[in-house]
Amino acid sequence: MAATTITEPIVQVTGLRRVYGSGDAAVRALDGVSFEVSPGELVAVVGRSGSGKTTLLNLVGGLDALQEGTITVAGRDVGGLDEAGLDALRRDVVGFVFQSFGLVPTLSASENVGIPLRLRGVPVEEREERVALLLELVGLSGHAAQRPGEMSGGQQQRVAIARALASSPRLLIADEPTGQLDSETGLAVMALLRGIVEAEGMTILVATHDPTLVALADRVLHLQDGQLTQHVAS
Amino acid sequence: MSAVLAPARPRVAAPPRPRRLAVRTAQLVTGAVVLAALWHVHLDWTGLRELPGDVVHYLRLMFAHPDWSKLPYALQQTWVSVQMAWLGALLGVVVSTVLGIPAAQGVGPLWLRLPLRAVFAVIRAVPEVIIAIVILTVTGLTPFTGALALAIGGIGTHAKWTYETIEAVPGGTAEAVRAAGGTLLETARWGLWPEAAPELLSLALYRFELNVRTSAILGLIGVGGVGDLLTGYTQYRQWDAVGVLIVVVVVVTMAIDAVSGALRRRITKGARARVVDGTE
Ligand SMILES: Nc1ncnc2c1ncn2[C@@H]1O[C@H](COP(=O)(O)OP(=O)(O)OP(=O)(O)O)[C@@H](O)[C@H]1O
Ligand SMILES: [Mg+2]
Repeated sequence: MAATTITEPIVQVTGLRRVYGSGDAAVRALDGVSFEVSPGELVAVVGRSGSGKTTLLNLVGGLDALQEGTITVAGRDVGGLDEAGLDALRRDVVGFVFQSFGLVPTLSASENVGIPLRLRGVPVEEREERVALLLELVGLSGHAAQRPGEMSGGQQQRVAIARALASSPRLLIADEPTGQLDSETGLAVMALLRGIVEAEGMTILVATHDPTLVALADRVLHLQDGQLTQHVAS
Repeated sequence: MSAVLAPARPRVAAPPRPRRLAVRTAQLVTGAVVLAALWHVHLDWTGLRELPGDVVHYLRLMFAHPDWSKLPYALQQTWVSVQMAWLGALLGVVVSTVLGIPAAQGVGPLWLRLPLRAVFAVIRAVPEVIIAIVILTVTGLTPFTGALALAIGGIGTHAKWTYETIEAVPGGTAEAVRAAGGTLLETARWGLWPEAAPELLSLALYRFELNVRTSAILGLIGVGGVGDLLTGYTQYRQWDAVGVLIVVVVVVTMAIDAVSGALRRRITKGARARVVDGTE
């Protein structure tokens, strides 16, 4: 869980471009984006709807094919990875949290959290132990047996965060994790992410609309029409 | 977002409305064709006038004094029909699932999807009775022929339901599993299957219900079961026995529909909408 050396950035992005469609219909979702994230940082990506936040996070996490530019995550050149390499990156290095939670509705909270561990073939006892620990970390120990439909939005998102943390990723990527939550619950989820950074030395890259959440970040990247406009230290 | 199993559709403008003139023309042409057809077939409307009287006459023949001694035999043959329906559903659903999953958009590649869907469409166009007539030249007149015809005939619609169900699963879960490092197969196993399975199971039961009804019709060509019996008694004008058969078919079909329907509601509701306070 702990980061390696403090000096080496965990995410390095240079000259990133992503174009959807072609010809007249082409959309430049990202148009020359470069930045770095150091281990243990909580970095917020803000920008209007359509500014390219999701596109950026998906590329960094290996969910989308790289077109132009370079991305290095934890020393791995994402552009040079084949499908198996990308699977491994997502399984071992990066954890994802989505706006829409993405929980399996027919599985309980603990089963959902255990999915990444199943994918890695972790033995049952070890898995159950780790799942219990993770649910405790996100404050849901008493809800292990409940299914997503039986939980509030904030609880579901905490389950999703626990799932993202299950494989001890070096980098947590969260795409508008509070987008479907009311402002109070959203703040609680963001505070949880902040706490995880402090306690576990996790690095988090989070996209958000919400200005109150930005206050909890170490650094803010402003995206506008696919370009970074300014780096603001807070 | 790009979900692996349900790729985001590009945003497209709504197609233009059909032109009013075109619609009117189509309506007029259709009307003219219907009128011309009626004119040509020289309907004998006098038969229609006697219809209510005939219906009452035959209903009295069938149900005034039903021949209940035929009941055990009727039940036994109905059981044969139900078995035919069950076997046909089982075979048909297994094949439909195997062929239907790769036909879903986001799962199979285009070169596989298109031919599969074409095959399903062709099967849908052929009634089970025709399929039965074709395969009975090979298998002979047995209940198994009926089951096979139901299985093959069912693939057309059932495989379509299967891929439509899979395509309707929201992409979020699958993407989350992929983001957790799942391979294509693992993503299908954890992101797709848990959400699609209850619906697919419910559809399989529904296929059985449909087969129970269709199996009675298949009996008309002599593959056995209650439909076979119905044809026989009707030909020999044993209306009192026909009455018993109709009662048995209606009661059994309704009972199966009720049980299967209740099961299906449990399967789909139970998996999804178990509410917090426990009031189901
Ligand atoms: N699959 C796609 N096909 C075509 N265009 C896309 C696709 N995904 C995103 N885009 C376009 O790329 C641009 C950036 O989209 P992106 O989803 O990254 O924005 P965003 O900042 O995450 O917005 P939001 O805050 O609404 O989530 C938009 O103009 C969008 O229309
Ligand atoms: Mg977005």
